[in-house]
Formats: sequence, structure tokens, C-alpha cells
Amino acid sequence: MPEAFIYDAVRTPRGKGKSSGSLYVQRPIDLAATALASLRDRTGLDTSLVDDVVLGCVTQAKEQGACIARFAALQAGYDLDAPGSTVNRFCGSGLEAVNSAASMVGSGFFDCAIGGGVESMSRVPMGSDGGAIFDVSQQWSFGSVPQGISADLIATMRGYSRADVDAFALESQRRAGRAIEAGVHQGSLVPVLDESGLPILAVDELPRPDSTLEGLGKLQPAFEMMGRQFKLDTLVRKQYPHVHRVEHVHTAGNSSGIVDGAAAVLLGNAELGQRLGITPRARVRSMAVVGEEPLIMLTGPMPATRKALQRAGMSVGDIDLFEVNEAFASVVLAFMEELDVPHDKVNLWGGAIAYGHPLGATGAMLLNTALDALEQKGLGTACITLCIGGGMGIATIIERV
Amino acid sequence: MAELLKNSLGTLSFDESSGVATLTMAMEGGVNKVNDAFGLGLNEALDTLAQLDGLKGLVLASAHRDFCVGADIDMLYKLTDPADVFSMVSQINALFRKLETFGKPVVAALTGTALGGGFELALACHHRIALNDARIQVGLPEVMLGVIPGAGGTQRLPRLIGIQPAVELMAQGARVRAPKAKGKGLVDALVDTPEQLLDAARAWIVANPRAKQPWESRSFAFPGGVQPQTTDAMNLYTAASAMLYDKTAGALCAPEVLLQVVQEGCRMSFERSLEREARAFTKLATSGQAKDMMRTLWYHKNAADKHEGLPRAEAENIEKIAILGAGMMGAGLASICAQAGYSVVIKDIAQAPLDAAEKRVRDNLKAMRHLSADEREEVAGRVSYTLELELLRGTDLVIEAVVENLEVKHKVIAEVEPLLAGGAIFASNTSALPISDLAKASAHPERFIGLHYFSPVEKMPLLEIIRGEATSDETLGRCLRFAKRTKKTPIVVNDGYAFYTTRLFSAYTLEGVQLVAEGHDPRLVEWGARTAGMIVGPLQVFDEVTLTLGLKAMEGASAYGYHLADLPGVALLRTLVNEHDRLGKAHGAGFYDYEKGRRKGIWSGLTELTPPPPAETGIDIVRRRLMLIQAAEVGRVLDDGVLQRHRDAEVGAILGLGFAPGTGGPLSWMQRQGLAALVHELEEAAAKWGDRYAPSPTLRDMADKGEVFFRD
Repeated sequence: MPEAFIYDAVRTPRGKGKSSGSLYVQRPIDLAATALASLRDRTGLDTSLVDDVVLGCVTQAKEQGACIARFAALQAGYDLDAPGSTVNRFCGSGLEAVNSAASMVGSGFFDCAIGGGVESMSRVPMGSDGGAIFDVSQQWSFGSVPQGISADLIATMRGYSRADVDAFALESQRRAGRAIEAGVHQGSLVPVLDESGLPILAVDELPRPDSTLEGLGKLQPAFEMMGRQFKLDTLVRKQYPHVHRVEHVHTAGNSSGIVDGAAAVLLGNAELGQRLGITPRARVRSMAVVGEEPLIMLTGPMPATRKALQRAGMSVGDIDLFEVNEAFASVVLAFMEELDVPHDKVNLWGGAIAYGHPLGATGAMLLNTALDALEQKGLGTACITLCIGGGMGIATIIERV
Repeated sequence: MAELLKNSLGTLSFDESSGVATLTMAMEGGVNKVNDAFGLGLNEALDTLAQLDGLKGLVLASAHRDFCVGADIDMLYKLTDPADVFSMVSQINALFRKLETFGKPVVAALTGTALGGGFELALACHHRIALNDARIQVGLPEVMLGVIPGAGGTQRLPRLIGIQPAVELMAQGARVRAPKAKGKGLVDALVDTPEQLLDAARAWIVANPRAKQPWESRSFAFPGGVQPQTTDAMNLYTAASAMLYDKTAGALCAPEVLLQVVQEGCRMSFERSLEREARAFTKLATSGQAKDMMRTLWYHKNAADKHEGLPRAEAENIEKIAILGAGMMGAGLASICAQAGYSVVIKDIAQAPLDAAEKRVRDNLKAMRHLSADEREEVAGRVSYTLELELLRGTDLVIEAVVENLEVKHKVIAEVEPLLAGGAIFASNTSALPISDLAKASAHPERFIGLHYFSPVEKMPLLEIIRGEATSDETLGRCLRFAKRTKKTPIVVNDGYAFYTTRLFSAYTLEGVQLVAEGHDPRLVEWGARTAGMIVGPLQVFDEVTLTLGLKAMEGASAYGYHLADLPGVALLRTLVNEHDRLGKAHGAGFYDYEKGRRKGIWSGLTELTPPPPAETGIDIVRRRLMLIQAAEVGRVLDDGVLQRHRDAEVGAILGLGFAPGTGGPLSWMQRQGLAALVHELEEAAAKWGDRYAPSPTLRDMADKGEVFFRD
């Protein structure tokens, strides 16, 4: 079987995902094209060799509708031969796209594929695409609740206090602050420019390295009102009858931020590197996606990681670094607790609580970050995992070569 | 009224009894334009008003003829760094935002024209009242100079009048006269006098103390029904985009960017949509296309209209004009002269053309809606139609538009000249015959001149003035005054067969036929020309002027040393005319088929008359050749000393011939290619396709010395 090598990875900075955010003036296609063009230019990629451009994008409506991957590739100036497809596995989409590209290369069907993702949450707000997930019938059948309530449910069931989740958030901000100051992302960040080449955003816009526990503690729980006043908490009892009260601990400060951004990862077989005269940075060891109980929704990283480890014939101890998406603090706390992974192996440079979570792009960004961290720390293996709406999880294990 | 402030923008006064302040713009130089002085002045006025107790609202007025003429093109033209342009438009946007979110109602009192940035200023006000006067125009004509509105126009206008009408107005760069502007929603009210205007403005302020822009409201919906990001909007943009492409063939950047910015900006928050517009504006404003268009269509056209560098006459001394020949051109000339107030006699040798001419003069007047019936009758009454020479007596200016034949013209000159008033000017509207040759029949060659008009003369803005060897400065100066009164933009060239425009025109159209004769697909030839930016493809032009006329001109040219008869293209013309009776559009058959006068496809028989396509063909080659041949010809015109000013080459080609406006003209086009590279390319072209492509000595010399036509 051929191997799927990761030759390079890039990402745009993440801009605040609201109309005052820097990247609001760029269409999603511009963000995706920025990442794709940069990936090509850095690697000298002959884009006629690209068998597919797979981009994750969650809210595929309005400016993100109608297979944005194909049009982003065209806008980036890719060869007309390079096709594009857009995938949606909710928050796992970016990693799903990388896995899909890696699978096609690894299976020998493709020689070269790009995985990545894009999401402009400022221009195409979450939910703009509608969907069956919001149907009342789904609520009655599965008791699905908004993610924040799921996150609060995890905290409630595992006994994480507001102080616990705030402390985790503070650490994420601190790690991000130190990492940014040390310039660890510089090699992967591609600045977003306007049509004249004037800078729009060159660094991540969301991190607040000066956050304090006191400041975080003052924030209102984000999901308390919908949980208590609008009775959404009661829906939880459909699956968890013993939970008589959900503790609402998650706030805007300890949940992932809403941002805009795009990422792209070049995957190919060994021959691609020879042809382009570039050396691979890593290989994809294994991957997994799982489904589980959809109301609690966010516990997928654990079974997904286990499955990926099992397929790679590895154990938790064989992994040097984990990137676990900080959708909510409780998600990562639960992961570390359940798999018994120390925090110093997880999210070395902080996570989505500090940088934000551009839904469809995050998975590819985390893979990029994990790869950068492995290289900069001189380590070998990393596992990237994300929780996913609808009760799913995704994980990918990579290894430097 | 107490005066609060006087600064670089104008005067700010306050009427305590009504609580209404008035900012009367009165910038130096007689025009209000959006520049640094404007910005500082407006900002200071707003800051002053913010401190004022009892303020109910603000009226923005002008002490000059125009309300505000818009962006300072001098400033914009010089800016080449995108960061500078972006910073400039961002500042203007911030200032206009300050005005519209100022908290008090602001009314624009349009006592004069507001175009471009001037109308954008009015759009940033909460209410617009104009004088009901057809001389006042409003609109956003920025695309005409290769840019888009850059002070919020692309965002405020769709939000004010709806997406579709806004796109139409801006993409066409249309100017709308005040009386029509209300119906289009561009102004909110019309009044008859300046006094009524100020009263109406104050009354509106009092009645609307909490005025704010509709787009500030949470419940804002676009007028006209089409909301952004709906299937209606999708259909609208798809059609608008295609219709624009149908017009521009992709040769102009600004209309395309305009549509894109409207589409995108209307999806965005209003505040940030301004940034989107500013970024798109910046890209365009620093582009070569915008600079070239501004140079020609702003600077050079203005210079031509002001007759810069040209001889001046103390007085025009023209009251009575005689037009010889009542054809389409003669009738059109009579029409524009009468409209300009001259007394006109139009003479022909047959009654039928005279009758047709009278109908044309009257039809033209009917279309002038801003004139009353009496005014129309008065203008019509200025023209008399005659078969008699006698009526020409006392004429100050004769323009002959008789057949293009040296002998006939000589005869007419000799016949008419003795009847004229003392000091009269004799002008020929010939499109090719050398003026000095015609002047040989004149007793006063110093008062003999070429006035070459373009058809239809009522619409075409250019006048090519040809100086004969003996034509005096005084005669030229008087003709320039005449040009101004008849609202024509003049270029002044030296004598020589076919002068300037006819030579360029012939090179272009004949090469189109030549390409077909070589076997290139005629459809590619036509579309290739369009994608180069030429307004009309060469074969369509040929059909319109008629193939016989083209052939005749070519035969005439041989007397002046132009030997084109051997070209396969000329042979093809002969075959079409002599063997297939395809004479052109008027005949119902030419390169194209026609059905009831409407152009259909290229005649299918054409390919049977031409060889199979050459190995080297395609849209890129035909497009390139159609431009190169014109460059080569202009190079020769420069050699011959016919062109005296580079500006004339540019203005003449675009205004007279429909040369690609996005290029700024043939010289600008050449300069964009790089003269050295162009000379090299022309040499190669000459080797492949014939000597007519050879770079002229002037071009070679300039290329060798690294010279350029225009230094900015």
C-alpha cells in the first residue's frame, strides 16, 4: 500500500467572526484561495497534478454554498484539471477533508490531494444552512440540545466546576500568548491580503493572553438562560434521567471563539515528493471517525482516539502530543481524564478557546499546529482529535518522517 | 443668520430662530471638490456644530455653480501607492459616516450638479432637494474614468433606490438631469427657486428631527423588492453580469468590479461594506487602465475642450452658416448649428434631400424634451432650405459636405466663395482629401480649413480640425470658438491625405478584412476586436460605411501614394461588391446578413471566398494584429507630422472612432506595451504579415532613446 505523506500545511490567521472582525471584508472563497495559493507557492506544486481539493466547510450556504472547494481552487489559480469537493462533518470537517485526501492517496487511487477547510463565521453565521438537526422530531427522538448545554452536561456529570473550566481556559490563553510571542506559528501562517496586496490580517486576532481568572470568572454562563428559562435542560433527562440539574459552567471565556479562517494541507505519495523535489514532513499513520450518543454529543474524541490508536497498533503512551479541539473546556478535561493524558502533552500552544474555532477549517489547522509542534519540539507522533455535532468524533495520528 | 465658521470648504452659519445651520461650500477655484481641504473643512464644521446648543439640523449648500464636482482627479491621478489611496478613501468614508450619523438631519440643497464624489456626499445626507432645472445633473459616472464610486456610492445607492436601478445607473455611468432624478429616487424633492429650496430644506428638518439613514434601521430592507442573497438577487446579478460583458467584452475592469462590489457589499453590514468598496476602489484607482483612462478622458479631453496650446481668436464673427449638401451629415450639421443659435442655410441641388434634412432637423428637436414647443419652433426657424446659391449671400462660415471628389469640390468652392461675407471661412467636411489641395480653388486659402465631423454628428463628440498649409491662426481660432458653441471636442491636426482619424480608421477596418481574406474566421476577427476594447468590430464598421465607399477611398488613396490594391483584403472587397452584390448594411447585405435592417450573423458565403484558416490563428492573434496595425499606422502619422499633440491622438481615436477607451488611446496602449518591446513585435509582424506592420522611424527612435509619450 502506498503511504500518505504530508508535504506541507498552511493556514490563514483566525479573525474575529463578527462584522467588526478583520476578515469580515473577505469572502470565504478569498480565505480558502489564500491558503490554497500559498500552499502551491511554498511547495512549487504543479497544480495539474492535484487529483482533488477537499475542503471542509460546515455552513454550506450563501457564500459558502455550491461546492466552494472547486471555486476556491479556481480562484487560487489552480490548474483547471484540479477538481474540488466540499465535505461537512460539522466541527470535524477540516480533519475529515485531510483524512479523505490521505485516504485517497493511501489507497493508491490518487497521487496527490489537498485537504483543508474554510469557514467565515462572520459572513455565514452558524445555522444559516438550516438542517434536519433543528427539526422538532429530532429533539423528540434523541433529545438533541445546543452544544453548550452538552458541554455543561459533561462538566456536570464529571464534576468539573466553573473554577476548573476557567482555569483550563486561562491556561489555553497563556499557552497561546507564549506561543505567539515565541513566533511558533510564523512558519505556517499566511497573511490575508486584499486585492491590492494591502494587509488585512497577519496574526490571529482573538487570543487574549492577558486574561485573568478574575476576568474569566465574571463572565455570565452562556447557556444558562436557554437551559433554565427555556427548559432545554429538561431535554437532557431523556438520556440522562439522573441529571436533575445541569450546572452551567461554560461561558464565552472557556468555550471556543467564533472566528473566520482557512487552512490547506498537501498530501501525496512518495513519488509526488520526488517529482516536486520536496521532502515530506510527516505521514498519516491512522485515522478514525466514530458515532456515539448524540445528546451529550461532545465525547467523541475519546472513542475516536482509541480507535485510531488501535488501528495504528499504538497506545496512548506512544503519542508525543495531542491536539484536542477546545470546543469547550470540559471536552478537553474529559479527554485528559478518561485517557489519562497529562495536560503538558495536550494543546501545547493553547487551543480554540484562545484562537477560535473556524468550524470547517479547524481540523486542518490543528493538524498543522500539531505538525509544527512536533518539529519544533523534536518529537515524533501526534494525535489530532475533535468532537463533532450529532455525537461524533474524529481522530488522526501523524508521524514525522 | 450668524456666521459660525469660515474655512477651506466654505461658510457655516446658524439661524437661531429655526435652529437650522447652513454649510455653504465655496472652495477656492470656483468648484467644490472632495480633497484634503474639503475634508478638513467639513470635519471642522461638524465639530463646531456638535458644540452648538439648539441645533435642529444642517443644510449643505453650494455657493458655486455646481453643488460638488466630486473627487479631485488631480490628486487621485498622482496617487500610485495603494496604501495612500486606501487611506484617502477611508478618511472620506469616515467623514461621510460622521455626517450621516451626526445625530441631526442633514439636507443636501442641490442648486447645481452633483456628480461622482459630489453625489456621494449628497447620498450621505438624509434628504436631497434639487432645483427643477435640466442643467443640474446627478449621478455616479466613475466607471467612465476606469474606477468605481469610492466614497460609499456603491453601497448607499442600492440601499436607497434598490439593487437593480443602482447597478444600471452606476454601470452605465449615467448622469441624470434633476427633473428626472426624482422619479428615479436620486433626489427626494424638486423646487423651482433657490429660495424655495432653502425653505423646503428647513421645513424638512423641522418635520424630521430624528432623521437617520434607512440602513441604520434594524428592520431595513432593500427597496425594490430584491434582497441580497436571494434567488431573485442571484438571477439579477447573473443577468446584469452577462449584459455588462456583452457591452464590454471583458475589456473594461471597472463595470465588472462595480457589480462585484455591489453584490458583495449589499450582503455585508453597511459600515464594513464601505471598506470592501474602498479596497476595490483602491485596486482600480492604482491600475494602469484607470490611469490611462483618466489621462485621456479627463486631462486630455479637458485640455482639448479648453483649446489648450491652440491659437485663439478675439472674436468668432460667425452668425450665418451655410451647409452645402443636405445628406445625413449636412442635415445633422444644420441641426447642431441651429441648436447653438446660428442662422443656417442648407443648400442642395435637389429638393428631396432638402425635405429629408428638414425632417431630420425637426425630429432631432422633438427628442429634446427640455425645450418648450415655442423654443423648438424658434430653433427650427433658424434653418432655411434652398436650391438657390443666392441665399448663401452674407454667410460667415460655409461647411461643404458634397461628394468626395476634388473637381466637384473645386467647382463648388469657386462658385460659392464670391457670395460670402467679408472674412468668411470656407470649411470642408472631407474625410480624406488634403485641405491644401482643396484650398487651391480658394481665393482666400488663409480662411480655408478642414472641419471633419463624425457620423451621426448630433451624437459624436469629436471635431477633427485640419489646418491647410495656408490656414491662418485667426481662422483656426474662430473655428475653435465655433466648435465650443456647437459643443464639440476639437483636435487640431496638420494636413495630409486622410489626416489622422481616417488613416487610423482605415488601417483598422482594412486589416479586419485582410484577416478574413487570409482565412481567419470572421467571427474571431469581430470578437477579437471587441475583446481588445474596440467598440465595434471592423467588419461591422465596414458594412456600416458601405464597402463601395471603402473601395473608392482606397482608389482615391492611390493618388496620394497609398498602394493597397494588391492586398488580398482589397481583392476580397472587390469580389464582394462586384460579384456578390454585397455592398453593406444599407444594401441589406455585406459581411453580415441583414433582415429588415437588423444585423444577423456573418454571411455564410464568406468562407467560400476565403482560404482555409492559416496555421497561426485564434482570438489572441487576431486581437493582437488589430491593435498592432493601428499602432503601426499611428507611428507613420507621427512621422508625417500630421499629429502635433499626443493628446489629439488619444482624444481623437476614442471620441471619434470608438478606439478601445480602456486603453486611453493608441499612444497610451503603445506605452503600456513598452515601446522597445512593441517595436520588436512590429518588426516580427512586418516579416510575417507585411510591411504595413513595420514600426515607423519615430517609434524606432523613441524606443532607442527610451522615450515615452506621456510622463506623469
